[in-house]
Amino acid sequence: MATSLRQRARARFDRWARRRAPATLPVRFDRHTIYVLPTRFGTFFVLVLLTMGLGALNYNNNPALLLCLALAGAAVASLLQAQLQLSGLEIHAIAAEPVPAGSVLRLRVHARAAPGRVRRGLRVECAGQAAPLSLEAGAGEAVLALPTLRRGWLDPGRLTVSTTRPLGLARAWTYAWADTPLLVYPAPEPSGPPLPRGQGDGQQSHLDPAGDDVHHLREWRHGDSRRVVAWKASARRDTLLVREFEQPLGANVALDWRMLPGLDHEGRIRRLARWVDEAERGTLRYSLWLPGQAVTGPGSGPAHRHACLRALALLPGESGAPH
Amino acid sequence: MRRTEPLPLGRAGHAWSLAAAAACLLPLLVQLPAALAAGTLAVGLATGALSWRRRLPGGLSALLALALAGIVLATFGFRLGRDVACALLAVMLALKPAELATVRDARSLVGFALFAPFSTFLLDQGPLSLLLGLLGAVLALAALLQLAEDESGDAVPATARHRLQAVLRMVAIGLPLALSAFWLFPRIASPLWGVPERVLARPGLSDEMAPGEWLEMMNDDRPALRVGFNGPVPPPHQMYWRGPVLLDFDGRTWRRARRTGALPAATTTRTGEEWDYVVEIEPTERRTVLALELPQAVPAGARQSWDLVLEADAPLTSVTRWHMQSRLPASFEPELSAQLRQQALQLPHGFNPRTIALARQWRQAHGPDGDAAIVERAMQMIRAEFGYTLSTPLPGRHSADEFLFDWKQGFCEHFSSAFVILMRAAGIPARVVTGYAGGRRNAFGDYWIVRHEDAHAWAEVWLEGRGWVRVDPTAAVAPERIYDTIDDRTGGGGLARLPGIAPMRDLGDWLRRGWNDLVLGFNAARQMALLRPVGLDGAGARGLVALFAASACLALGWMLWLTARAERSRDPVLRAWRRLGQRYARLGLGREPHEPALQWVARVGAARPRDAAALEALGRRFAGLRYAPGGAAQDPRRLARELRRHRPA
Repeated sequence: MATSLRQRARARFDRWARRRAPATLPVRFDRHTIYVLPTRFGTFFVLVLLTMGLGALNYNNNPALLLCLALAGAAVASLLQAQLQLSGLEIHAIAAEPVPAGSVLRLRVHARAAPGRVRRGLRVECAGQAAPLSLEAGAGEAVLALPTLRRGWLDPGRLTVSTTRPLGLARAWTYAWADTPLLVYPAPEPSGPPLPRGQGDGQQSHLDPAGDDVHHLREWRHGDSRRVVAWKASARRDTLLVREFEQPLGANVALDWRMLPGLDHEGRIRRLARWVDEAERGTLRYSLWLPGQAVTGPGSGPAHRHACLRALALLPGESGAPH
Repeated sequence: MRRTEPLPLGRAGHAWSLAAAAACLLPLLVQLPAALAAGTLAVGLATGALSWRRRLPGGLSALLALALAGIVLATFGFRLGRDVACALLAVMLALKPAELATVRDARSLVGFALFAPFSTFLLDQGPLSLLLGLLGAVLALAALLQLAEDESGDAVPATARHRLQAVLRMVAIGLPLALSAFWLFPRIASPLWGVPERVLARPGLSDEMAPGEWLEMMNDDRPALRVGFNGPVPPPHQMYWRGPVLLDFDGRTWRRARRTGALPAATTTRTGEEWDYVVEIEPTERRTVLALELPQAVPAGARQSWDLVLEADAPLTSVTRWHMQSRLPASFEPELSAQLRQQALQLPHGFNPRTIALARQWRQAHGPDGDAAIVERAMQMIRAEFGYTLSTPLPGRHSADEFLFDWKQGFCEHFSSAFVILMRAAGIPARVVTGYAGGRRNAFGDYWIVRHEDAHAWAEVWLEGRGWVRVDPTAAVAPERIYDTIDDRTGGGGLARLPGIAPMRDLGDWLRRGWNDLVLGFNAARQMALLRPVGLDGAGARGLVALFAASACLALGWMLWLTARAERSRDPVLRAWRRLGQRYARLGLGREPHEPALQWVARVGAARPRDAAALEALGRRFAGLRYAPGGAAQDPRRLARELRRHRPA
């Protein structure tokens, strides 16, 4: 009962605070959006002071009263200082490199403020994760490690910036709602069939490891086939070298949703995600066909990879609902 | 808030918490009996040192706490009182570092330690306690500062001085609010609950006088009373500060009379001039209010007993001020009731046979109406034969006999006791009166100081027609026979005679009196008196609350301004430059955060050609001063002034 009451009060406060806060970044905090409440230790401290004050008043013991009031004055001053730590602070951007679902998304929160006031040891919280934020010369950055569970847009939701300094008696906090959605790529399947080479338009340029199209030599790596070892060159150089072949132009890899009938919806996405990564690693040109979308590519490079993985990440779920 | 793993305590936080606890404990230790204080200190040092290595298991520390509490209670003889409670607190605080492992532990240690200075003030309100107590509080705040930094995960190593500065700044910022609450927060006129008494009494006037017990008090040069006179001042030899009247004697100890509480106050007529004065009494833990012989009216907060001694409604645990008028009696209880006469003549059987024989002999010589003559004869005997000294042996069974016939030397305790025994044996009702005699004027504040060493005992004899008459046998000693005094013993007389020492002492006491006046003696009545000049005294508590609210708002505004001021740049040129930017920002031409000064100046110049020349000149000079090598050559104050003067046309 008490818990549900508290939860309801909490929810009401959250809605109220949401209405008061600006909707988009950059957000600058002022006294209207900063809340201050005593911490657990602050409550204890207030009780200590109340006991002392009541005793001192009762006994008309003026030194004790003076001590109690001086402590109380310092406590009030610390509340103001806590509030001023946040007042004037601006969160001007948040950003994160997309990562595959299941790994940790490093969310960067960029803050700045007019220099002059020391703002150190602030705490930034988002989605249950916390990181310290200290401003040097008016600018600072907090890096939060957010866990990701599934592909698609990750709404970071509410950012909380708080501090309990200087005395730890009260916590001043404020909220920022970032409207910057963060992309989470689909998690690639851990293992599976190799890249479907030669299925695309470049079928006619069959790869021949023993052919003459040697582009260059490189050092032997674990897992290289014996057939690609350049024995003569290795003997000259006294180390194992293998031949690398340049993918002939136009030998595109076509990654096609329709090629994978045996897999379920998410399984196909995960396999395609792995293939995209493998193709990118092999510096192949590849294109991606997805249902209901124009063909992406062919192409290669980070931008192309991002376009493919983004398309995969944002593919609706099996039931047609956005994932 | 979310529950998180307890944060382990860093080394700096650990050290600061221990230092704060030690500093808070120190003033309390000063007030405790020496042996107990030493023991507590040892326990504190041991647990403090141990806390660096490991946390004591909960069971063991609970057992230790119980054992130590037992020891403390045993030291005080299993009685309960204010000092016992304070000693228990000290011991528990000394034991508390044993469980110091997390930030939370450290905070609870610091919070608990703050009770130590508080309880010190319940025992003593002197300047030393105050200084040490405030030091403890400041260190406690500094420890909290360190702990909060540890918790925030961004503890920049800072010097102790730096941290103390931050704390003092916070206290200073909060001081106006604290002081306005101190002066104006409504005080309680009568306590809601009583002050628990001390188990171990302090040296001072008591309701008893036993041989040898006064020496300690007479070695104590702390002030007992401070008196300011309005109008005439009595001559020093008339300054008898009358305290407990001792009527009962058991052969060794004089005590206050029992079963006299319901008796009406004695009737008096007065003579001579009236003295109007304010007595400030240092805390005694007893109820007696000392007044000049004899108070005219009973001040508020006190009662008058049958022997015209004033008693406060509550023990005097803090400095109290009493405004009184006194006049000497012309007659003091001229009609003595049979019961009182019998009590004032009572002597225990089997004591002092030689004194009794002498008294009977005198009575026969002077006849039944010779009371006054017998008193005069006794005084003549003292004047002729007796000497004053503090070095006296402890008396045996017949104390008056030994003093009157063997030693013929002693101090007020012996003189008054033997004199009263002699009078009673002669059939003259007599009693011992204790109090203080004399005083010393302090030139700084035009007031009189009476010290504990001025404690005195004299006699009152009842004579037909006049009632009780004060007789001071000690004062009858011939000056050439004063041998061994307090001044000789302490060397205080010699030291005080050095040039410069006495004025220094007077100045110190004057400051102390100001502190007493302004702070220690402040109470509900004085608070109401504060309202009078403002014209709010009719409003009572409501006026006080209104005044408090107003001043608290002012103080809060001042705090906000002071705290926010830190944001202002310290450099006047930079400040003036920013203000200039704000003036253009109002016209929609504000400087972007990362726009260089000269670029901004050019942009504004393009938009407002009339300002272009002046603004560009200022911008160049500003940039030159701040960024160009050798820019300091121009006068920054002049530039700041011109920046402040510039207005968009």
